[in-house]
Amino acid sequence: MSTIFKVARLFAGLLAGMILLSALPAIAEESFTGWLLNIERTKEVKPVANEHYQSECSDCHFAYQPGLLPEASWRKLLNVDALRDHFGDNAELDDETLAEVVKYAVENSADKSWHKRSRKIARSTKENAPTRISGVHYIKRAHQDIPEKMIKGNNDVKSLSYCDKCHTQAIKGVFDADTVLIPNYPDWED
Amino acid sequence: MKRNAMINIFASMCLLALSGIANGAETLPDSDILSGTSIYTQQSRSYILALNEKNVVFAQADTPSTTVMDSLSTQQPEFEPPFFSGSNAHKYMGLATVALVGLTAITAPDDDDEGPTPSTTSRTQGTHQSLGRAAAVMAAATVTSGLWTHWDDFHIEDGFADPDNLHVMLGALGALAMMNAVSTAPGDGHPGSGMLGGAAMAVAIKLTW
Repeated sequence: MSTIFKVARLFAGLLAGMILLSALPAIAEESFTGWLLNIERTKEVKPVANEHYQSECSDCHFAYQPGLLPEASWRKLLNVDALRDHFGDNAELDDETLAEVVKYAVENSADKSWHKRSRKIARSTKENAPTRISGVHYIKRAHQDIPEKMIKGNNDVKSLSYCDKCHTQAIKGVFDADTVLIPNYPDWED
Repeated sequence: MKRNAMINIFASMCLLALSGIANGAETLPDSDILSGTSIYTQQSRSYILALNEKNVVFAQADTPSTTVMDSLSTQQPEFEPPFFSGSNAHKYMGLATVALVGLTAITAPDDDDEGPTPSTTSRTQGTHQSLGRAAAVMAAATVTSGLWTHWDDFHIEDGFADPDNLHVMLGALGALAMMNAVSTAPGDGHPGSGMLGGAAMAVAIKLTW
């Protein structure tokens, strides 16, 4: 009899789990409850999901995910004055577009995200707000063991700023070692 | 008892084989079996080396119709992350540990659980015991593979609340609790220890999922 009860308990548990799972897509990720109940992987950085942000940024460079910098950094970067001289280029946007881009970047910044890599970036930038992603201590440390010849000395990479040159899944927000392919250095891990 | 020992040995051999495959796949030098990436590298290296030569680059400026990079991009297969890596093995072993803890809990004989015959009761206990041991072995293997593949994600300077640091601490605590449960079974405290171990392992997984 007790075996029957155990099996019934198991099925009840599975049924409850299936009902819960079916409701999960509706749960927003960027809250503790959302994160807790979400079974989708959130170990990386949330991919860009705003059309204007994607198109305006990727006109000139890889559209860095907002989760790669904290809110303070985005506020320093995305304002009328800063965009007039955006690392040497004029990247001015009309008021409406700028407002939307800033809103999206701030709402999804590293310190507001529950994605693991963003949380690590947020912890690493508590004391300062770098305007360059390559200036984030956590990111610098993650790349410190890679020989200079593979990045600066590599004509197909040149700088840490070009994330997508080596991180083949960067556009999806995935920056783990399994998805790295350094141009000209296929055996970079050796 | 002999049967349990055989199951444990078999489980250990499977884990060793899995670890060996994962490690081999990552470290195999100059394999004759070409992966998509190595084919790409072999085909494109000469072009890339040519591109590094300044005069070749200048020469290309006069041929705007089809550049070397255009032809290169058509040859480059899409990079596919390895299906089986140390990181993946660690992930699956962690999930298997939690599943085994769940199965161990389900098969736990109740205090008043007397089977229809003494042999039925003993079989239930035997299954519970085997699953418990397998969970503990899997937990130990998970911690070992995690230290092996993710050692550079662990930095004490990042503090106690860093997700990776918490993951390591909870994972190790979970494995120790499970081993304690196995070593103290069938004592009174072992279910609590085992469940604590499973919960710690589950939280550790969630933190870095």
